Amino acid sequence: MLDTIQTSSRGAVVPGWTGVVRHLHVTPRAFLPMREMPEIKLVEGKGIEGDRYMIGREQGFYSHKPEEGRQVTLFEFETLVALKRDASIELGPEEHRRNVTVEGVPLTHLVGRRFWLGETLLEATRLSIPCRHIEEITGKSIFDPLINRSGLNCKILKGGIVRSGDAVRNFQ
Amino acid sequence: MTAVPITTVTTIVEAIEDAGPDVKLFSLVDPDRWELPPFRAGAHIDLRLPGGMVRTYSLCNDPADDKCYRVAVKREPAGRGGSAKLHDQVRVGDMIGVSLPRGGLILDAAISRFIFVAGGIGITPFLSAAALLLRTGRPDFALHLLVRGEPPLPRLVAPFVQSGHVILHDTTTAGRPDLAALIGLPAPKTAIGCCGPAGMIDDFERASRDWPGERVHVERFVPPALPADPNSRPYTLALARSQIETRVEPGQTMLAALLDLGIDIPASCCGGICGACKVDWLEGSPVHRDRVLSPAERARSLMVCVAGSAGVRLVLDL
Repeated sequence: MLDTIQTSSRGAVVPGWTGVVRHLHVTPRAFLPMREMPEIKLVEGKGIEGDRYMIGREQGFYSHKPEEGRQVTLFEFETLVALKRDASIELGPEEHRRNVTVEGVPLTHLVGRRFWLGETLLEATRLSIPCRHIEEITGKSIFDPLINRSGLNCKILKGGIVRSGDAVRNFQ
Repeated sequence: MTAVPITTVTTIVEAIEDAGPDVKLFSLVDPDRWELPPFRAGAHIDLRLPGGMVRTYSLCNDPADDKCYRVAVKREPAGRGGSAKLHDQVRVGDMIGVSLPRGGLILDAAISRFIFVAGGIGITPFLSAAALLLRTGRPDFALHLLVRGEPPLPRLVAPFVQSGHVILHDTTTAGRPDLAALIGLPAPKTAIGCCGPAGMIDDFERASRDWPGERVHVERFVPPALPADPNSRPYTLALARSQIETRVEPGQTMLAALLDLGIDIPASCCGGICGACKVDWLEGSPVHRDRVLSPAERARSLMVCVAGSAGVRLVLDL
């Protein structure tokens, strides 16, 4: 959550925050359902073991278009709450097709920044963009409601095990 | 990196069983036995067969069976070759790309009784529904199966015959039963469905004229053409630099038409917001449906994932 105002090492004032990992999901191939995992293994510079976008595996919907920042993707739990509250759309954490659902993490502020996901260190490369493909898979009209809140693409600077309940912290 | 976009669910043929006269039952699973995309009872999938052939079959297993797609295929000697290919060329262990499941029966909880009528291999969607209804404690259904001689899928059908849910009508000995008598008059909390050859469907539609439309489900062997947008018209898409022309059908995207031509377009969101598939246009009247291009940009560019054409011909700078 956004809780304090902190001064970064470069002197700029940035909001402080701490978040938590709520759900972890992977799937080995395009179109297949995401499976919830108690923990996942992030491999530096490559991706998540067993996931479709792990470099060297590449069986995702976008695998023909390589992208460094697709090694791990995050999604805000708060968006699921907002979709239900504002648009009566029930979207489960297994349906948005990002790997990590976090709570209390301002994803849209993190592009270009580094942060800790449990013991792993990530660098956010860009905001995710929703895709019509997700409507085909879920059967739900969620393309428009997900514009500008469809998650965050990241590369893995330091690998490790991420578990549900792990803290998410800014890198100072 | 894969060379081309992955557009199908990858499955492997786990088992092929003989399942009655000229019928084979194919079990398709993920190579790692991962869960497959979910489906409604009796939904259908497209199978991408060797040689680029695409054929659609109903799923006949329980939707709770989330790691397998099971399709029953009857050999049709006078058909277009899909069933023959599946019977003669596809082997256990082969990979088959399939579409996401579509359609299927809506077994509304407010409905307490179902009457299904199937012709031969048309029983497949109702076997899926029957499995679901029994599993969920809704045993009040009847499945009238019209066959010429031996029924298809005897191993799957026999338990339902024994339980009294499937009523066999052998039309070689007794003639075709009166479908109106089988379904009866519209009754509360009752839904009816039919799957079979075209003539049987026509009879069923006549017999069910007085039933409320939302409680009638019809499944054809050959699906009718999808209803196109009444304002949508086909147009010619010309590629100036490649000197190629193609026809874009109503309901087809410009992107799909270009991909069919083997043109590598860097599309991503397919919804007109990411800007990946921007292409310049040279002549014609494009219909812009994107949400990224400014009016000035639209004067020379369009997004092929969502753009259309107001005229009969549109020329792209490709």
